[in-house]
Amino acid sequence: MIWLTIALMAVITFSNRALFFARSIRYQMGARVRRLLTYSSYAILTAIWAPILLRFSPQYGISHAGADYLVGTVLAMSLTMLRLPTLAVVLISAAVFFAIRFGAFFCASIP
Amino acid sequence: MRAVSAVLPLAIAVIPWGILTGALGMQIGLSPWQAQAMSLLVFGGAAQLSGLTLIAGGAGLPAILGSTAVISSRHLLYSMVFRQHMLTQPWYRRWPTAFFLTDEMFAVSEAQTRSSGRFSSGFALVAGFTFWVIWNLATLAGILLGEGVENLDQLGLDFAIIATFVAMTFDNLKNRPVVVAMLVSGSAAVLLKPYLSDSYIIIAALLGMLAAYTVSSDAVSEPEAGP
Repeated sequence: MIWLTIALMAVITFSNRALFFARSIRYQMGARVRRLLTYSSYAILTAIWAPILLRFSPQYGISHAGADYLVGTVLAMSLTMLRLPTLAVVLISAAVFFAIRFGAFFCASIP
Repeated sequence: MRAVSAVLPLAIAVIPWGILTGALGMQIGLSPWQAQAMSLLVFGGAAQLSGLTLIAGGAGLPAILGSTAVISSRHLLYSMVFRQHMLTQPWYRRWPTAFFLTDEMFAVSEAQTRSSGRFSSGFALVAGFTFWVIWNLATLAGILLGEGVENLDQLGLDFAIIATFVAMTFDNLKNRPVVVAMLVSGSAAVLLKPYLSDSYIIIAALLGMLAAYTVSSDAVSEPEAGP
C-alpha cells in the first residue's frame, strides 16, 4: 500500500511537471498568456519567500520571523538594488543574518 | 559549474526539510527504502511532508493524492513557462528536465535566461540534478538519524530561500507591473497561508500575475486612449 501511494504520488508530481512539455498537447500559447507568464517567476518566488518572513494569524494579525530575518531581508533587497550579483547578495546577507542570529545567542548564553 | 553554484544556496536551505522528510518517514513506520524512494521519485518537499503526515494520520489514498495534486499544481505553471523552450528539445532532454523541474530549478533557470538572454537546457538540467542529489542525501541523513532529529528548523537555514529569491526578483523594480506582481502575490501568500495551506502559493502567484497583467495592459493601452 505504501509503495502504491509513493508510485501514484510520483506519477502526479511528474505529470504536473511534464504536461506542457508534451508535443501531443495542441496548445498554442497566445500573446496574452505569454505576457501573463512573464510575471510568473516574480509572483511565485515572492509567494514562497514572503510567508517565511511574515506570518498572518486571524487572531494575532501580522508578525515577523525575527529581527535577524528582517535585517537580513532588507539587506538582501538593498544589495540587489545596488546591482550586486545574486551569489554576493546571498553570501553577504546570510553572513549578516547568521552573525545576528548566533551572535545574539552566544551573548545571551554568557552568564 | 555556474548552474551548481547558482542552485547551491537553495539546496543548502532545504537540507533541514530533506532530513525532516527522511526522519518523518522512519517515525511513521516506512522502511528505509520506502522513505528514500519517496525523495528519489516524488521529489517535492511540500508534497512529501504533507503525504507523510496524511499517511501517519491514516488518511485514505484519495486524500493523499488530492493533496499531492494541489500542492504540486504550481509545477503546471513552470511547465507552461518552459514549454516554448522545451518543444524543440529531443525527448532525452525534455523528460529529464520535467522530472527535475522544481521551484528552485525554475528560479535559477529563469534568472539565468533573463541575464543571458536565452534559455539553456543544460543549465536547467545541471541545476535540477544537483538539487535532486542534495535533496536525496539530506533524506538519507534523516533516515539514518531517524528519531534523533529535532530543532533543525532553529538553525534559520530557510533565510537562504528569502535571500536567494529576493536577489532574483529585486532586480527589476523600475518595471511597474513586476512590482505589482510581487506586492500582490506576496501579500496574498502571507494572508492566505493560514486558510489554504496546500494551495496558497499557486493562488497568490496567479493573483499577482493577473494584477501585473492588468496594470501592464493599462500601460499599453494608454497611448491609444489619448485623443
